Amino acid sequence: MQLENLNLNYWAITPEIITSVTGVLLMLVDAVQKRAERKANAIVSLIGLVLALVAVIGFRTPGSYFSGMVEIDQIRVFFSATILIVAIIAVLLASQFVRDEGLPPGEFFTLIMFATAGMLMLASAGDLVMVFLGLEIASITTYVMAGYRRYDLRANESSLKYFLLGSFATAFLLYGMALVYGATGTTNIQKIGQAIAADQVNYPALLLVGAAMMLVGFGFKIASAPFHLWTPDVYEGAPTIVTGFMSTGPKAAVFAAFLRVFVNGFNTTASPVGMELHSTWINTLAIIALITMTVGNVIAISQKNIKRMLAYSSIAHAGYALVGFVTGEYASVAFYMLAYSLMTVGAFAVIQLLARAGDQKVEIADYAGIGFEAPALTFSLSIFLLSLAGIPPTAGFMSKFFVFKTAWDSDYRLKWLVVAAVVNSIISIYYYIYPIVVMFFRPLAPGFVRPRVSLGATIALILTLLGTFYLGILPNRLMKAMGSGSGGAQSSQIGQTQVINR
Amino acid sequence: MDIITLTTFLPLVGAVVLLLYSVLASRGDQEKLDNQYRWITLIATTVTFLVSLDIVRRFDASIAGTQLGQKRPWIGALGAYYFVGVDGISLWLVLLTTFLMPISVLASWHIVKRVREYMLFMLVLETGMIGVFVSFDMLLFYLFFEITLIPMYFLIGVWGADRRIYAAIKFVIYTVVGSLLMLVAIIAVYFYCGNTFDIVEITNRLASNPALIPGSVKFWLWMAFALAFFIKVPLFPFHTWLPDAHVEAPTAGSIILAGILLKIGTYGLMRFNLPFFPDVSQRLAPWVMTFAVIGIIYGALVAMVQPDMKKLVAYSSVSHLGFVVMGIFAFTETAMQGALYQMLAHGISTGALFLCVGIIYERRHTRLIEEFGGIGALMPQYSTMFLIISLSSLGLPLLNGFIGEFLILLGTFSSTVPHAKMFAVVGALGVILSAVYLLWMLQRVMFGEITNKENAELEDMDAREKWALVPLVVMAIVMGVAPMLFLRSSEKSVNSVKEAVAGKPAKVAVSR
Repeated sequence: MQLENLNLNYWAITPEIITSVTGVLLMLVDAVQKRAERKANAIVSLIGLVLALVAVIGFRTPGSYFSGMVEIDQIRVFFSATILIVAIIAVLLASQFVRDEGLPPGEFFTLIMFATAGMLMLASAGDLVMVFLGLEIASITTYVMAGYRRYDLRANESSLKYFLLGSFATAFLLYGMALVYGATGTTNIQKIGQAIAADQVNYPALLLVGAAMMLVGFGFKIASAPFHLWTPDVYEGAPTIVTGFMSTGPKAAVFAAFLRVFVNGFNTTASPVGMELHSTWINTLAIIALITMTVGNVIAISQKNIKRMLAYSSIAHAGYALVGFVTGEYASVAFYMLAYSLMTVGAFAVIQLLARAGDQKVEIADYAGIGFEAPALTFSLSIFLLSLAGIPPTAGFMSKFFVFKTAWDSDYRLKWLVVAAVVNSIISIYYYIYPIVVMFFRPLAPGFVRPRVSLGATIALILTLLGTFYLGILPNRLMKAMGSGSGGAQSSQIGQTQVINR
Repeated sequence: MDIITLTTFLPLVGAVVLLLYSVLASRGDQEKLDNQYRWITLIATTVTFLVSLDIVRRFDASIAGTQLGQKRPWIGALGAYYFVGVDGISLWLVLLTTFLMPISVLASWHIVKRVREYMLFMLVLETGMIGVFVSFDMLLFYLFFEITLIPMYFLIGVWGADRRIYAAIKFVIYTVVGSLLMLVAIIAVYFYCGNTFDIVEITNRLASNPALIPGSVKFWLWMAFALAFFIKVPLFPFHTWLPDAHVEAPTAGSIILAGILLKIGTYGLMRFNLPFFPDVSQRLAPWVMTFAVIGIIYGALVAMVQPDMKKLVAYSSVSHLGFVVMGIFAFTETAMQGALYQMLAHGISTGALFLCVGIIYERRHTRLIEEFGGIGALMPQYSTMFLIISLSSLGLPLLNGFIGEFLILLGTFSSTVPHAKMFAVVGALGVILSAVYLLWMLQRVMFGEITNKENAELEDMDAREKWALVPLVVMAIVMGVAPMLFLRSSEKSVNSVKEAVAGKPAKVAVSR
């Protein structure tokens, strides 16, 4: 490694620096305070996250820094923004959570900050080593968060399961990385791509096996079938707010790294081994997408617990996102993950509020007749569920439409996958409207007390709702910023408003 | 802002006003508040109707294409435009919507459960329905098409009768199965026709170059569109959701469902299937007509044996909509004009029939025909109106139903579609059958001695009910006496659809 090629640029890692420093700061604040102050922690975290978001949005020029360890490109900007938005919403909800549960507030915010820093690294990684680092930082903090309610057996089970299976997946990923390194002699993703293109692969079989193992590792982390088995138990057992956080943020971050490695790295068809690798992973992922959607949707139908149901729903959504993934165009995946994160975290926020301390009421049957008793919460939950089902004018519809349209136009003959995804959407309608039926159409179950909603939670709900509708009705600005491929260029030329006849 | 956009979103503005009002005035007497919500909704829908009248005034009947609207970029990245307007086909459907909504609000005055939410759903629903008829961009159309779904789902599910949950879920699942497959077809058409969602543009491109879409694909795309609309119409054998939804829905829900939502199906057939895929439409016309005629006869026969008045009216809808589909697939101008007219007439008559059933249901909380008898003597005004409306529905000359059915039968008889004459003859039987079931019901409900003691105290209509019912009766008569008032505006547009199917590409220009 030559020193002059290091290309140090600390501006390129400002978001990561801000979130890490805020995390450390929170620990200090917590240590010097006499009595744990939730509000101060929440406000410090929020300031840090908003600053990081500003820094992310401020990235203008693409580039590669720290000898290729850190990338600035559109994938990073959009996925980092998604991660930070999820983190902001989690912080807004966290203050009520730690108070209601009577948990120490300090560490929870710190953990959110470090997890966010790890995820941001994952989204910015230009090198397999960085991918691993980011993944580990993000994962280990999330394992702790899953078990944060430490007197609760379910949370412990969730945490342990998440830890064991997560480590298992990381091992797969690491082994895959090692093999790819062995085959190409570099861990830099760009250089891996160049090496494959130039046919400088030592042992082609090593590369293929390595890529397959990485696929398995990433597949575990995004909860795609058949590597999804950990998801329902972990999502059910973790505190709801943590479930909302870990089903969105880390998933988006892993998708970013997954995109970089496969779509940017293993994307060349210039050499025979590259071509083989490329067509193999496209076909494999197309089939994984199909299985993931179907498994998620079909099993979700029979769920009685709303958190489990949303766990299977999140598996299904990973499948839809993979449909966009195999087209090789990052924009539809990035848009999908943003929309998915907003509506999922919003849905979990409502579930958290309705479930109250200790997650007492998380069976769908518990929701009987509460529709008009707490209309703000139930209508919000209905909107999130309908959005997840893909009913317009919500983010869920627009993101699905974007993915389907991209896939239909793709060169890889994916029309069958679009039809399969649509059939899956039809199946999913049933379980998404079921909680609405229970909430609004059934008689009220006795003993319902309207939950108290803190200011932070109110803001979080308003933000997610606005986002859900904004992405569903006026997604143009965002899609344009992503520079989405088909149709974008030509239609922007016809820009003028025409008033027809008078 | 153009008049079309204004009309479309006025109800939504009303909804926002209602919501804000309810938040600001959340203290106080609930009954008084509920009454204010009703008035706000009534005013919002009435203003929308008055504004929509201006569309008629400014409508230029000599233009076949879209007018009065606008086209502006909406989602450039996806190639979607905010493209709204009206043509001769959608003009009167928009008016039907805005006309029926204040009446539906009046018909729901007695609702006491969650008035605010009910009225909000009504207003959102109205925006959705108007939006469907004025959209000329496929994505926008799909958006509004689905928006109508959710409010109706809640209206049935929350304010419906005993089996409302079953009916609501069935309604949603049926509609969504159709609409999502249509979404795939929309994406496919977008790419085949050179990256555009513009319905006018696609129609023109396909007319000048039918080979844009390969023949085998065309069939499947036609099927995807048709399935969505056949379910919505509903054409036999996709009709089973309709009786359930109607019976369980509150009165206003039934009026809207029968009066407007079903028309989205027939409208879609005229807007998408015929102009986009003329050859497939022609090839499959005998099949569609077969199902339409089965629907006419089957709906009428089932209606005849219904003990429940509302179910009877619901099945009569299946029968009447069969006529509309038959008329659309006859591909003659007379029949298609008739079909369009029948859509409007059915909206008025069936809406009024549901209203009549609702009025008596509110008094007695039963709709079973056997519970009544001889109420004509007790409720003379009500009975007169019910009689006029029933006569209009069964197609008595000088009332609205006659014009549509007559034109459809006439046009179908002269159609070149194979076996069209036979279909017309068998379909005509449906007219006779509709006289049988409606008159028989009237006889059992209205005439004779008062057989049930519980009916002895029935009161005639009050002012609110008259305000709701009289406009419908007046419209039924006006439409029966002066059909050219309406037919004139739709002539050009219907003709252009007919020409498109006949394979004579009459280029529909977007006039500026």
